[in-house]
Amino acid sequence: MATSLGAPRLSLSPKTLQALRRTLPLSFSKSLHSKPLLRPSISHSPILLRLPRRRRLSSRPSASAGNNSAAASSGGDNYDFDLFTIGAGSGGVRASRFAANFGASVAVCELPFATISSDSTGGVGGTCVLRGCVPKKLMVYASKFSHEFEESHGFGWSYETDPKHDWGTLIANKNAELQRLTGIYKNILKNAGVTLIEGRGKIIDPHTVSVDGKLYSARHILIAVGGRPNMPNIPGIEHAIDSDAALDLSVRPDKIAIVGGGYIAVEFAGIFNGLMSEVHVFIRQKKVLRGFDEEIRDFVGEQMSLRGIEFHTEESPQAITKSEDGSLSLKTNKGTVSGFSHIMFATGRRPNTKNLGLEDVGVKLTNNGAIMVDEYSRTSVESIWAVGDVTDRINLTPVALMEGGAFAKTVFANEPTKPDHREVPSAVFSQPPIGQVGLTEEQAIEEYGDVDVYTANFRPLKATVSGLPDRIYMKLLVCANSGKVLGVHMCGDDSPEIIQGVAIAVKAGLTKAQFDSTVGIHPTAAEELVTMRTPTRKIRRNSSSDEVSLFKRTYLLFLILTCWANVLIYILTQEKVKDAVKSTT
Amino acid sequence: MARKMLRDGETEAYDYDLFVIGAGSGGVRASRTSAGFGAKVAICELPFHPISSETIGGVGGTCVIRGCVPKKILVYGSAFRGEFEDARNFGWELSEDINFNWKKLLNNKTQEIQRLNGIYKRLLTNAGVTMIEGEGKLAGPHEVEVTQPDGSVQKYTAKHILIATGSRAQRVKIPGEELAITSDEALSLEELPKRAVILGGGYIAVEFASIWRGMGATVDLFYRKELPLRGFDDEMRAVVAKNLEGRGIILHPQSTLTELSKTDEGIKVVTDHGDVLVADVVLFATGRAPNTKRLNLAVAGVETDKTGAIKVDEYSCTNIPSIWAVGDVTNRMNLTPVALMEGTCFSKTVFGGEPTKPDYKDIPCAVFSIPPLSVVGLSEQQALEQATSDILVFTSSFTPMKNTISGRQEKTVMKLVVDSATDRVIGASMCGPDAPEIMQGIGVAMKCGATKKQFDSTVGIHPSAAEEFVTMRSVTRRLTVGSKI
Repeated sequence: MATSLGAPRLSLSPKTLQALRRTLPLSFSKSLHSKPLLRPSISHSPILLRLPRRRRLSSRPSASAGNNSAAASSGGDNYDFDLFTIGAGSGGVRASRFAANFGASVAVCELPFATISSDSTGGVGGTCVLRGCVPKKLMVYASKFSHEFEESHGFGWSYETDPKHDWGTLIANKNAELQRLTGIYKNILKNAGVTLIEGRGKIIDPHTVSVDGKLYSARHILIAVGGRPNMPNIPGIEHAIDSDAALDLSVRPDKIAIVGGGYIAVEFAGIFNGLMSEVHVFIRQKKVLRGFDEEIRDFVGEQMSLRGIEFHTEESPQAITKSEDGSLSLKTNKGTVSGFSHIMFATGRRPNTKNLGLEDVGVKLTNNGAIMVDEYSRTSVESIWAVGDVTDRINLTPVALMEGGAFAKTVFANEPTKPDHREVPSAVFSQPPIGQVGLTEEQAIEEYGDVDVYTANFRPLKATVSGLPDRIYMKLLVCANSGKVLGVHMCGDDSPEIIQGVAIAVKAGLTKAQFDSTVGIHPTAAEELVTMRTPTRKIRRNSSSDEVSLFKRTYLLFLILTCWANVLIYILTQEKVKDAVKSTT
Repeated sequence: MARKMLRDGETEAYDYDLFVIGAGSGGVRASRTSAGFGAKVAICELPFHPISSETIGGVGGTCVIRGCVPKKILVYGSAFRGEFEDARNFGWELSEDINFNWKKLLNNKTQEIQRLNGIYKRLLTNAGVTMIEGEGKLAGPHEVEVTQPDGSVQKYTAKHILIATGSRAQRVKIPGEELAITSDEALSLEELPKRAVILGGGYIAVEFASIWRGMGATVDLFYRKELPLRGFDDEMRAVVAKNLEGRGIILHPQSTLTELSKTDEGIKVVTDHGDVLVADVVLFATGRAPNTKRLNLAVAGVETDKTGAIKVDEYSCTNIPSIWAVGDVTNRMNLTPVALMEGTCFSKTVFGGEPTKPDYKDIPCAVFSIPPLSVVGLSEQQALEQATSDILVFTSSFTPMKNTISGRQEKTVMKLVVDSATDRVIGASMCGPDAPEIMQGIGVAMKCGATKKQFDSTVGIHPSAAEEFVTMRSVTRRLTVGSKI
């Protein structure tokens, strides 16, 4: 974890820090240009001590087996660098460090630091550290306190006056932490012997990168420029903010509209709600988090609503208008909601592939602008590679790290390594949060047909005393034939932390019986995952066989009955109303 | 099916197929699962009250009424103080005087426990188990005598008898010991102490230290060893000690209490170092003893060990073939989930036609100190003792992300112990927020022999603390076989 690197607190006043952030252009020594000043530090790599560096590096990476062009690797040692990385985010930093540790001479270029990204601003650390995971999680921590204050009442705590939140303090402390982290990332690169060049990188030819006009040659080029928020082109969109800006607002929104149903949207909904904004979420679908397990989608939506977030479902944004008092209105296909201080769009992210010179050099892109790569992260140009969000595979920091690490091993350690994108666990830091690994119920049925579904929906111990309506939902999907656990999904407190260990078990291909043989840790929420004894339902491909049809039939019957019950209730209440009307008149 | 099998035998001669003494975690589980296998089951338990005695207990047992559950509720309650402190740097402005109403918490806790007590009773009823209120004692290899609250005595016969009477907190024999309380009373104190003295270095002692400190008391913790939590990984013990101190608990290692006496200011406490303290409450957290004294074990000839625990074989059978015992009363591994496991294995063995031994390997457990400690598998010291090949130790000590803003000076520490020959992870421990929740999944992986390579091949969940467990790339130290730490 990035934050594991020691955290001295800055004792500057919030105001000073905010000013600092705005004025710090982060100057790099311009003398770093042209030739690499730093040679790779060899001492880090035990493998290297055994292998003469030159020979190893000039040998072709074996991952290129069956590739078409040999031009790239036959050039000898006439390059400025063995590797030139464009973009010092999670993937780029990891790949550069590892490559340097394997003995490569490495340079990485990155745009100047700013909390909000653009064509000319970025910063070492990338999205994760500066505009993603880290600041987001810090804001989640900040916003979660309001729920804890509520919880505390049931545990006997009370306050003379209700806790108030000072937005400025939070943003200043958050930005101070980001400054610290970007510094740490720079040090990591420096200590690994990687040359850091500030500026915008552009590919000139398969072995040349231009950074603001200055040319660098490299045996391999790695593109790790990530992605950026993407907003639809609707009238008034200039009044909207994206997640970059939402993480760095100077004032707390009074009333905010969040457009989008993905993880960024639900996370920010939780953040602003916890920090006491009025939050409206507009989603095109019926529920949030498309792609997640259906029941998790239902559950998290319910829990968020209970915490005061208002959802506007099946509404697509059409226009934003600003009124004279400065407030914003959002027009959708269903109507217009007014009085917003802020409107945020969390409507997806796009790979940053524009103006990189990719088309000219022949790097192929997918329809949505992502760089096409093979299993080793190599592009259609043999000497050019790409990792992370710019390839739009699984857009998560740890995946970019894995891709970066695998790339370095493949190219500079003579150990062709494919990143393994199976069973990648992930989390949504909504409130309550979600953790998941493996297949959703829908995917599991699609792929395996016969699936046993174990679910638990319970009130955690803390909620029984706090009196709040918080619940926890868990689901375990098991292959009926092999007993293998195919997927685990959880929504509720601590889900991301809980799922990590479970993911090791799922990755190792463990069975339900092995889960059950594990003794619980009492009293925890997580112990429920090893004590789910009876399947909630058994899905069978062959629907003529018992359970499924029984399940379906019961369900149908249930539907019919509830229908009738509703009709009956309706009739009865009408009668009552009539009676009431009669009796009053 | 088991029912049918039983009918073929001499079952009809007995009142019950199974009579269980004690409706705590192990007893309730064994009763329910046995009934599920078709056995006719009765269970006896003392009347309900938060504080146990010879004649008071309650369905649910220690865990629900006087242990895990109420303890965890108090830990939740006391952890808020830290949260209030942490909130400030996140921009929250709290009024200076935050009030804590102990009575309210106590009341809510008792309500929850009564609710659970009711749930457990319903569980038994729904499983078709006959519940009998009163104190159960052996009257023979197939006979139990129950003294009911009104004093009447009733005898029941059973093909099998299961003893699941658990354990009770022990007191230390020093002058004035009657002034001290045990964990039972500590969970139900009328008044919140302002000055608390705790004797003991086990998990109960450190948990109550955290609880009372969180609620605003000054806490002095006395223990005999250099570090608390004997039996846990030494490095983690040091981390816990440091954290307790960091949260304001005054540690007194290598010391004990010699005398208690009542004064106007409170209880006067004298230590073996000659120090004198005055406290509102003195807690003895000096161990628990199996509840075997009043069971009339001798009548049936059931053997106990030196500590008074019932001796059982691997299937939880005592030296008398018709009498079995599970849970704390056998003093194997005194944890609720272990009692549950023993109870289930017993039922499978006796009524399920499937002889099953409880498996004590890689049982995860947690200490709910603030922040908590959780471990599974071997400590570094245990690993080295048992090692046949070199041991690799991976450690990570980091500032949790929340603390980077809150400014709390507290690190999270994690450790993996790996057998270099097999690459298997044989021990894992963590001290830091959410450790018990995190360790459960790690426990699943380890139970099935996951290797360090499999840990490493798992992608992290970012940003979490738990991801550190799958990103420990470099060995902190290598211990060669036969070396001493």
